[in-house]
Amino acid sequence: MKNIMKAVRETTITPWGAWLACLGVILCSALIGGIMVFWKGLVITNLTDLVPWGLWISIDLSSIAVSAGAFSLCAGVYLFGLKRYEPIARTATFIGLIGYTMAMLALVLDIGRPDRFWKALVYWNTHSLLWEVTMCVMLYLTVLLFEAMPILATFDWLRSRYPRLAERMEHLHYYAPVLAIIGLGLSSLHQSSLGAVYGVVKARPIWYKPEMAVLFMFSAIVGGIALTLLASMLSARLTPKAKINDALVERAAHFVGYLMIGYLYFRFWDWLAQTYTYEPGRTEAFEMLTKGSLSFNFWFGEMIFGALLPTFILLYRPARLSPFWRMLALAMIVGGVVAFRFDTNIVGLLTVISYLPGRELITYTSYTPSLVEWVTGLGIISYGLLAFSLGVKYLRVVDHRLTSKEHRPVEVNAMDTVRI
Amino acid sequence: MSDQNVSRRDFIKLGAVGLAVAAGARAITQADASEGVKGEHQWAMVIDQSNCTGCRYCTVACQARNDVNPDIEWNKVTDLGMMDGMMVYLPRPCMHCEHAPCVEVCPVGASYYRDDGIVMMDYDKCIGCRYCEIACPYQARSFNWEAFDGENPAVPEWGTPEVERRPRGVPEKCSFCYQRIDRGLSLGFVPGVDDEATPSCCVACPTGARAFGDLNDPNSNVSQLLKKYPSYRLRENLGTNPRVYYLPVGVVPVREVKTEG
Repeated sequence: MKNIMKAVRETTITPWGAWLACLGVILCSALIGGIMVFWKGLVITNLTDLVPWGLWISIDLSSIAVSAGAFSLCAGVYLFGLKRYEPIARTATFIGLIGYTMAMLALVLDIGRPDRFWKALVYWNTHSLLWEVTMCVMLYLTVLLFEAMPILATFDWLRSRYPRLAERMEHLHYYAPVLAIIGLGLSSLHQSSLGAVYGVVKARPIWYKPEMAVLFMFSAIVGGIALTLLASMLSARLTPKAKINDALVERAAHFVGYLMIGYLYFRFWDWLAQTYTYEPGRTEAFEMLTKGSLSFNFWFGEMIFGALLPTFILLYRPARLSPFWRMLALAMIVGGVVAFRFDTNIVGLLTVISYLPGRELITYTSYTPSLVEWVTGLGIISYGLLAFSLGVKYLRVVDHRLTSKEHRPVEVNAMDTVRI
Repeated sequence: MSDQNVSRRDFIKLGAVGLAVAAGARAITQADASEGVKGEHQWAMVIDQSNCTGCRYCTVACQARNDVNPDIEWNKVTDLGMMDGMMVYLPRPCMHCEHAPCVEVCPVGASYYRDDGIVMMDYDKCIGCRYCEIACPYQARSFNWEAFDGENPAVPEWGTPEVERRPRGVPEKCSFCYQRIDRGLSLGFVPGVDDEATPSCCVACPTGARAFGDLNDPNSNVSQLLKKYPSYRLRENLGTNPRVYYLPVGVVPVREVKTEG
């Protein structure tokens, strides 16, 4: 007894321990919540026949969106030859892997028959966007696993215990360019199809437009790169295990600023086109975003703090050079993309178009996630945070000093350099 | 150096061409997929609003025959209010659209077209993603948020169940009583004429406000009614081509259908 008391007294609470404990508590409650969902069914959620997709799907959409740094940065590094960003692409790959598994967790909770999850792979309706999304998720998750192998191979325990396995895993790095091409194809298909899942639904006019695919793709790229940079900077501030090259991050952030202009351009045209003529259902839903119950999310979450302000910060050099303002801007972009996903999903569902003739055409419904949805949703986010924290601590996920071997021995012919 | 670059670029190009071909091939097959295969029969329902009294016999008869959870209505009847001094109702079964959004979006093909135009659900294939529910413009689908394992209050007064109960976690909807049609046809009955082969809602209707039959047969009662009276369908602007037609209030003299049918 004395020994235990002594041990308790001598245990000091480190920030790392507190962080793990905090995540652990959320994860444990989420586990209980998850078991309850599987046991009792979706009746314990606040989802209804009018709002069948709620918080979980918003988390799914958001985690897929912020995983997009993986494919965009890998494409940049391995296809467009921006080699110096390779350490950032490494972090992005790891975040992508976490984000995609988070999305899978959300989906397993959300579908009514999780026991039949495999049927999505066996029975194909190639006409369905959701089929395409399912296929892309599965295939891209596989690609991400391969891409992340060299990162997982840096785990010290693995290296000392199974050195040959670690070596094999590290060797996969040689296939990085090929994986980047496959990943680019699958992931860009997936990101845009996810928008098209909404874009093809004729019954909901606010969604029914081709630019849904473009908006999802573009917002995912900015959100994904922003989260990668933010996570790298934040880790470097919190632990000596993470080492960043601030100049590199700053240049990438500058690039995100330019991308944001493109994003704003698309949002602007989308916005303007929707105000032009009255379209039953679309106009009401749009008013819900701009004036109604979602207006705070729309104006502050998506527009002012989610897009305009961070774009200004990232393009204004003195602000961008300050790590604080840069991190703030990146965080706001991630928040803006999450808000965009959440609002897009919910606004189409809350605006109900009546099929009855001679009745008021549009009615509104409401949705507030239930406790179990919140607990499990927060659990999914905590899983992501935990996985990333462990990665930073044990896998050198954020280490900009790492210079990897060339993909292939390059034979340099002296004559080549002359002929430009 | 240049060799390596060219080969990589070629690889990308090849990949892009491959993707484009795949996408094109898919677009072509899609065009076929969205057209329901036309079979020998094309079942349709005609609902006469002048004779509908809003008694909801159709709803409960459906719940009994299809063993539906009392919280779920495959055939929902809505009061539309007074019109020309009489109450108007709108019963809404599944529209069995020719271009059904639910079939188009289902990732596993659990919703599909039958040759006779019925939009069917394969409850064993369904993964419960609820995309069909979101895509349906008629709110014709209801999700089984919990298992229905109690007594069915509509049984036996309104009939006995003819199909299996759906499990928790899948959406369900009206099937035009496919089990009655299939069994009736195999026994030599004519759907829409003989009660044994006709959807239970039409059989239960005390005023004969619901007619069922084959659009391919010009002499069927549905073809005749549609020829004789003006009709409309719900949300026709969407181009879904529903197989449920409505005869608006005032076009059919009250009770005339009953004496005919």
